[in-house]
Amino acid sequence: MAISFEHVTYTYQAGTPMAHTAIEDVSFSVPDHGYLAIIGHTGSGKSTLIQQLNALFKPTAGEIHVDDFTVTPSTTNADLKPLRQHVGMVFQFPESQLFEETIRKDIAFGPQNFGMSETDANALADEMLTTVGLDASYAERSPFELSGGQMRRVAIAGVLAMRPQVLVLDEPTAGLDPQGRQAMMALFERLHREQGLTIVLVTHQMEDVAQYAEQVAVMREGKLVKYGQPQEVFADPDWLRANQLDVPRAAQFAQRLAQRGLTWDPLPLTAEQLADQITARWPAKGADHV
Amino acid sequence: MANIIEVKHLSYKYGEEQRPALKDVSFDVHAGEWLAIVGHNGSGKSTLAKSLDGLLPFTEGTITVDGVKLTPETVWDVRSKIGMIFQNPDNQFVGATVEDDVAFGLENRQVPRTTMLPRVKAALAEVGMADFAQREPSSLSGGQKQRVALAGIVAIAPEILILDEATSMLDPQGRSDMLALVRQLRERQHLTVISITHDIDEAAGADRILVIDDGQLIEEAQPATIFARGAGLIEMGLDLPFTAKLKQALQQRGITPPAGYQTTAEMEEWLWQSLSNT
Repeated sequence: MAISFEHVTYTYQAGTPMAHTAIEDVSFSVPDHGYLAIIGHTGSGKSTLIQQLNALFKPTAGEIHVDDFTVTPSTTNADLKPLRQHVGMVFQFPESQLFEETIRKDIAFGPQNFGMSETDANALADEMLTTVGLDASYAERSPFELSGGQMRRVAIAGVLAMRPQVLVLDEPTAGLDPQGRQAMMALFERLHREQGLTIVLVTHQMEDVAQYAEQVAVMREGKLVKYGQPQEVFADPDWLRANQLDVPRAAQFAQRLAQRGLTWDPLPLTAEQLADQITARWPAKGADHV
Repeated sequence: MANIIEVKHLSYKYGEEQRPALKDVSFDVHAGEWLAIVGHNGSGKSTLAKSLDGLLPFTEGTITVDGVKLTPETVWDVRSKIGMIFQNPDNQFVGATVEDDVAFGLENRQVPRTTMLPRVKAALAEVGMADFAQREPSSLSGGQKQRVALAGIVAIAPEILILDEATSMLDPQGRSDMLALVRQLRERQHLTVISITHDIDEAAGADRILVIDDGQLIEEAQPATIFARGAGLIEMGLDLPFTAKLKQALQQRGITPPAGYQTTAEMEEWLWQSLSNT
């Protein structure tokens, strides 16, 4: 599903003395089956931005298009049901939203809420459990007996059971160990590649942005200050640092070598990309070294 | 160097669980060192940290902290020597304001009000949170909350600081600020720091790393030795250092980098020499 924001502004408690504009005049678009990363310092408006995507907050001004759904300031809640079914939201620490006695019931809750029969919802729950990498033996267990990383997988299975076409992820790997983080990011990559899900990822992990994202949006003080492919956004490390954002390790390393006179085209963002360019100019191979 | 903590043959089992969470763990912590404890989720490293503070009634083995053997009778004595910061800053606030929260530990130790007020103020200044004294803890960012938790520890001036994944919920800026602050405090107050972590940068800054797996201490070495393990680090609950990732990628492309662990500067030097000597 393609997404576009047109001059979207959102003001908390609009029309009161407490009014606070969290995002202002934001416009961008994500192609169908795209993978967008949203980065920015804490408090820059990232979370407010993604909550517009399934109209948890409706814009104060501007329009949002998700495929052929349109959300405007005057859209009513009754019109939003189909949109919410297509946009799956995974909030921070989603495991805190688990509540059912068994894992199967927890995952089946959403589809049943949208009118699916219990039998069908249970079958779907078992399928989703496998999708997130837990086998069917977990279905009858209590979600509260699991480790933090497993609980998070169950919560994500609950979102996937709604069969969303857009998956919105708010710092989905926060608090996981590196192994759990890698497995989680690989899961989203698989859903993106194999099932064509459009992914919108809010993250502080620049390595993940470099490795997975196709588009990057940089937020600062409620405004979209940069938008483009990772190569373009990371091309200016000084600008990123000035905005209190990290630069991927490979890009930092490549820059240090650049200061000694090596040139890169383009600036490598991952260890793999860096190794490709090093290999191409490696002396023993007689390639086009500098 | 003198040992500030000595752990001998420590074992622990949770309730009905069949498998012990800790099995015959022995190690020493030297006074003034920064010791990192790593291991994947569920390896027993948090259980170990809690045991040191007398939060878990271990059944086998002994723990001696600053010359005091940990027993039900000495537990308060031992705890007065240790400050602990946990992963989730929201789970450790008790005060309605930032300064109340910092004062809590001092009130518990029956510090008179006249000495308490300046100590709270000084502690908040130490962590750069003096301007936030009257604020509600809930209005702070994650990084600010952890700094307040640190101020609570500065105020009681323990000998040992235990960080139990204390930076894992912070954004990169918050994480590096927090680590810089701990490093400063350690120098100024001669703290011994024990950090339980998955963060490769946090582990890299340690003097020594202990690796826990399946409740057992499987390795004890300096960061450079541990980091030379390459892919094995993932099993230890750590990420690969960037230089190890790059070496792996180069090897796959037929280039043989030097053996062992290289810092970023060493790797840069080697690549520069190799690429410019032509």
